[in-house]
Amino acid sequence: MVQATAAVQPSISEQATSASIEVGGASVTLYDSGLPVNGTASRAPIVLLHGTGGTALSHFGFLLPILALNQRVIALDFAPVADLEAMSLDDLVAQARAVIKHAVDDAPVTVLGYSLGAVVAAALAARHPEVTKNLVLVAGWMATDAQQRLRNSVWTALFDAKSPQLAEFTVFTAFSPSFLRAMAPAQLQRSLQSIRPGPFDAAQMRINRDVDIAAEVACIKAPTLVVGCARDQMVPAAHSKALFGLIDDCRYYEADCGHAIIFERPAELAQLVDQFNEQPDRHAPGVRIANDRP
Amino acid sequence: MTTTPSQSFDIVIVGSGFAGVAMAAQLKRRGMDDFVLLERADDIGGTWRDNTYPGAACDVPSPLYSFSFRLNPDWSRLFAPGHEILRYLKDVAEEEGIMPHVRLSTPVEEAAWNEATGRWTVRTANSVFDARVLVFGMGHLADEAMPAIPGLQGFTGDVFHSARWRHDIDVSGKRIGIVGSGASAIQIVPEVAKSAAEVVVFQRSAPYIMPRLDRAFSESDRRTFRRNPDLMREMRENIFWYLESTFASRRGIPSYLKENKRLALAHLNAQVQDETLRAVLTPDYEIGCKRVLLSNDYYPTMTRENVVVEPSALAGVDGATAQGASGAGYDVDALIFCTGFEAARPPFAKIVRGRHGQTLEDAWADGMEAFASTTAHGFPNFFMLNGPNTGLGHNSIVYIIESQVDYVLEALDWMEREGVATLEPDAAAQAAYVDGLQDQARGTVWLSNGCKSWYLDPGSRKLTLVWPDFTHAFRHRNGSFSPSGYVAEPRAEPLVPTPVLADA
Repeated sequence: MVQATAAVQPSISEQATSASIEVGGASVTLYDSGLPVNGTASRAPIVLLHGTGGTALSHFGFLLPILALNQRVIALDFAPVADLEAMSLDDLVAQARAVIKHAVDDAPVTVLGYSLGAVVAAALAARHPEVTKNLVLVAGWMATDAQQRLRNSVWTALFDAKSPQLAEFTVFTAFSPSFLRAMAPAQLQRSLQSIRPGPFDAAQMRINRDVDIAAEVACIKAPTLVVGCARDQMVPAAHSKALFGLIDDCRYYEADCGHAIIFERPAELAQLVDQFNEQPDRHAPGVRIANDRP
Repeated sequence: MTTTPSQSFDIVIVGSGFAGVAMAAQLKRRGMDDFVLLERADDIGGTWRDNTYPGAACDVPSPLYSFSFRLNPDWSRLFAPGHEILRYLKDVAEEEGIMPHVRLSTPVEEAAWNEATGRWTVRTANSVFDARVLVFGMGHLADEAMPAIPGLQGFTGDVFHSARWRHDIDVSGKRIGIVGSGASAIQIVPEVAKSAAEVVVFQRSAPYIMPRLDRAFSESDRRTFRRNPDLMREMRENIFWYLESTFASRRGIPSYLKENKRLALAHLNAQVQDETLRAVLTPDYEIGCKRVLLSNDYYPTMTRENVVVEPSALAGVDGATAQGASGAGYDVDALIFCTGFEAARPPFAKIVRGRHGQTLEDAWADGMEAFASTTAHGFPNFFMLNGPNTGLGHNSIVYIIESQVDYVLEALDWMEREGVATLEPDAAAQAAYVDGLQDQARGTVWLSNGCKSWYLDPGSRKLTLVWPDFTHAFRHRNGSFSPSGYVAEPRAEPLVPTPVLADA
């Protein structure tokens, strides 16, 4: 279970400060990098929304300090609501919305969501266009499909049975085969050990099971960057392509990795997002951004 | 006085390492055949021709340290030995049709901009070349650095630099002094120690060393690559983006810096049990400030009976005795200088003369600099590959070189399209670019407290060698040409007016 007291972990970035705010009875921790090191103050601040089972630190440990070099970055740890059984997408949107209010007093921001965070980000952009200046959806989706529901069922069964194979199942579906093959055994062990889902994660998985925000996504007007992962087994890239198709002012980039892009290709993602936020209209709507071929 | 008739080319390329070969290959591929490639040595290959010392290998995996336009299925290992890299470069030069353009044993003595003709005059020992465009692919590891050591002249044994290895000298059974403990030394020492009677390593400062996660490619691996070229591409990209993520540590992000340091020190602790030796081999500066080295056999070699570390620089030589700055003396039969290269102050700066007779060295009083890390104000139609602010501590230089080659090609295309005769960056644009890089470098390990390295200019202490950002960011910023920041002069109107068809 994610602890709202994660603020004591100091290493998310050297200069980031943290705070805790109450949102509908949940205690949400937020981190704020403050002014960028390289002084490009003209950019919109970026708000980072993590995915299922993550925290600001575990999902954005790379992205946050790197993006903070060139723009202000705010991240939060989604927090459990009192009635976890009834937790909904709306609760997470409300938490993100409250953080934007608290951190930047509703100044327009670039909202970046990863995985479930991307679902939250898309809903936020649709419902609160006044604060969502730009949008980045990484490995996100808008309508849960049969393939995702199968994985969700297996996950839930393993969770309910307290199966030790839940960690293996998660790692198996999170990473691309080639990344897993290249992983050192000790690194794989660390990954497996880091996965200890609790009731809050299960509540997020229940949200994942029935996402359907296509009608809202169709209304998104913010300049948007959609990032799909070519070897994603949790949220296959087809979902990102569908988002790219539905959102008006949208460009698309596909990274050659699994769902865990934040671990497999953090430097690729960080630079892509940095370049997007520097100039969101660098690529015209409808453009598939070319991959670098090193 | 006799005058040598000058040979005219559209483009003169100087240097035949990765940079020169990449430039030439792309010109050939576009059918731009009007160029010559000048090489001072009697063979092509740059650093990989020069560095033939035992154990020479690259510390960037070969599937990435190679041209994107010529993937090689035949590497024997992940980190291929130097002679394979040289073989690869020569094969590329051969197969891309470059060799007929190469003039070997043709050292450039002066390259001067001729204001009257608007062209470059390149003088070599026995020839003169005249060219519209001059491309220098000099690299950072071209001219060896030899420290001035008192008494070295009178040394009774053999002396040579690691980049000029004396294969005629047999080290077996001899007492060998190794000067330096950088990238070359850590590859050389394990090889020399196998047969030498004694080895003493003069270590000015200890390097950080990480495990080298090397592996051999079997014949079936190689056939798999040949039959599935997409796998080479995939492996290359995975290596590139993995190395790219290690920039977080160079950038000075505390958690990554700490983890990197922990890994390096764990490697030392696992391989060296003796506390005193461990202390001597523990660096006293931030990791990444100097090149982080990869080796599995350096530390074990240091624990051998016949190897000793002198924890100070070589300070003087008296007869057969090599003396450390600490005062300790060692009698040796040979001194091998593994002291690196004249990287931050390249000797070629003295011989390139731009507008008003100014040399690059004059222009670089504060350290070398370039606009877009490629061109220089006062030096029209001049491009440098792997020059100022292009070096990397974490990824493959071949990627930078290929980005720069793309930039040059686009600049040439633009000049052609726009009818431009001469192109050079505006002084203010160059200053803004360079200042921007210095700002960006703040907070990186290269400028951390107590960091002394060859990445910094020895005079101004500016970070002139390294590109202080992600590698992909180099291509993003400098991989395609934009005329913004440039001064362009149009081609003169033709003397004979083009006939105009009158209305009938």
